[in-house]
Amino acid sequence: MAEPSGNNKAADRGRGIVIPDDWPGYRLDLFTYPAHYSEDLDSVYIPHGVIMDRTERLARNIMDDLGDHDIVVLCVLKGGYQFCADLVERIKVLSCNSSKSLLMRVDFIRLKSYLNDQSTQDLQIIGAESLSVLSGKNVLIVEAIVDTGLTMKTLLTHVRSFRPNMIRVAGLLVKRVPNSSGCLPDYVGFEIPNRFVVGYALDYNEYFRDLNHICVISESGKQKYKV
Amino acid sequence: KMPPFSYINCAFQISDEEQGYDLDLFCIPKHYAADLERVYIPHGLILDRTERLAREIMKDMGGHHIVALCVLKGGYKFFADLLDYIKALNRNSDRSIPMTVDFIRLKSYQNDQSTGEIKVIGGDDLSTLTGKDIIDTGKTMKTLLELLKQYNPKMVKVASLLVKRTPRSVGYRPDFVGFEVPDKFVVGYALDYNEYFRDLNHICVISETGKEKYKA
Repeated sequence: MAEPSGNNKAADRGRGIVIPDDWPGYRLDLFTYPAHYSEDLDSVYIPHGVIMDRTERLARNIMDDLGDHDIVVLCVLKGGYQFCADLVERIKVLSCNSSKSLLMRVDFIRLKSYLNDQSTQDLQIIGAESLSVLSGKNVLIVEAIVDTGLTMKTLLTHVRSFRPNMIRVAGLLVKRVPNSSGCLPDYVGFEIPNRFVVGYALDYNEYFRDLNHICVISESGKQKYKV
Repeated sequence: KMPPFSYINCAFQISDEEQGYDLDLFCIPKHYAADLERVYIPHGLILDRTERLAREIMKDMGGHHIVALCVLKGGYKFFADLLDYIKALNRNSDRSIPMTVDFIRLKSYQNDQSTGEIKVIGGDDLSTLTGKDIIDTGKTMKTLLELLKQYNPKMVKVASLLVKRTPRSVGYRPDFVGFEVPDKFVVGYALDYNEYFRDLNHICVISETGKEKYKA
């Protein structure tokens, strides 16, 4: 199946792996997970290996589109650090072993916008002084999850003010939500229902970042780690 | 021949005479083909050593909630891989330790010289470190440790991928050391030369061409 080349937008790549609303996830006892979370999870929603395989493909899509350019990877902390590390790693492998090469510089930015499991309107951007380096550059924003899209919209407006040459966005997860701002990443890992998920660096009040699968938190977990 | 510091754990020593490997024996990104001299520490070796450090850390710090503090930007690859190994241990044994993560960035005020003054950017309200155990990855240790003391953590340990043998050493030694290396300027595995080479997975020695090309 031939991939179109040139100015690809999300529509060309599809919505990523689409996970339906009624997907129950896998039973915990089919996988390994940290013992300290045994009461706190309901199911394994997306296993780590599947995340890695999908990321490998996203890396190839990015290489097909942007190969032989220089880019600045802008990692959105803290939730984005794992996806960013794994995505950059896959792109590095392609730079060594395929016909194209992508020189990447890496920078980090931090956004705070969740309290417990609710997306708040309050957005703080930290580490922003360093963004003047983006001027004239090709920027790949790497974010773990796009929910209402408000954060992404705010971030894009902010990044655009530094006048980069081009901006692309890679998002591991995109939620199907009714109040979406319609802001879709160019590279989407998985489209998921409107559920609160944890793991693979996605947290619930700083917990669960040390879990390698993406999971659904249990009620007792929500209570235990509530702020 | 006694080293200038005393050892707690045995360290992986790379001798002054070590030449590294020819670039053609490994895969490197095409865009750096002319900019590197040798592969100094292959990526796989870094991972294998890191896997062992993860085990040492768990043995040593077991039983307490750990805050893993990553010193950006150079520490991010080591941090990510070290935590992956710790997570693997956590999910495969009966004993596991909850771990939260945080990220800080250190900026010194005077050019590139390591002065006593650092500005810490990012990070949560560091008072959350009070009563926690911390492992830290990165370079400017002594100053950072002084800073962290004010927040009364229960225990602070430092994991560093590389420790250099240098006469300029202040005598500080991290608790967990990946490799002890000669005083050479190395790049790769998130260590940069003017922001370049972070996207290289082996630790390498930069070539003269590379130094010129990516000069500030």
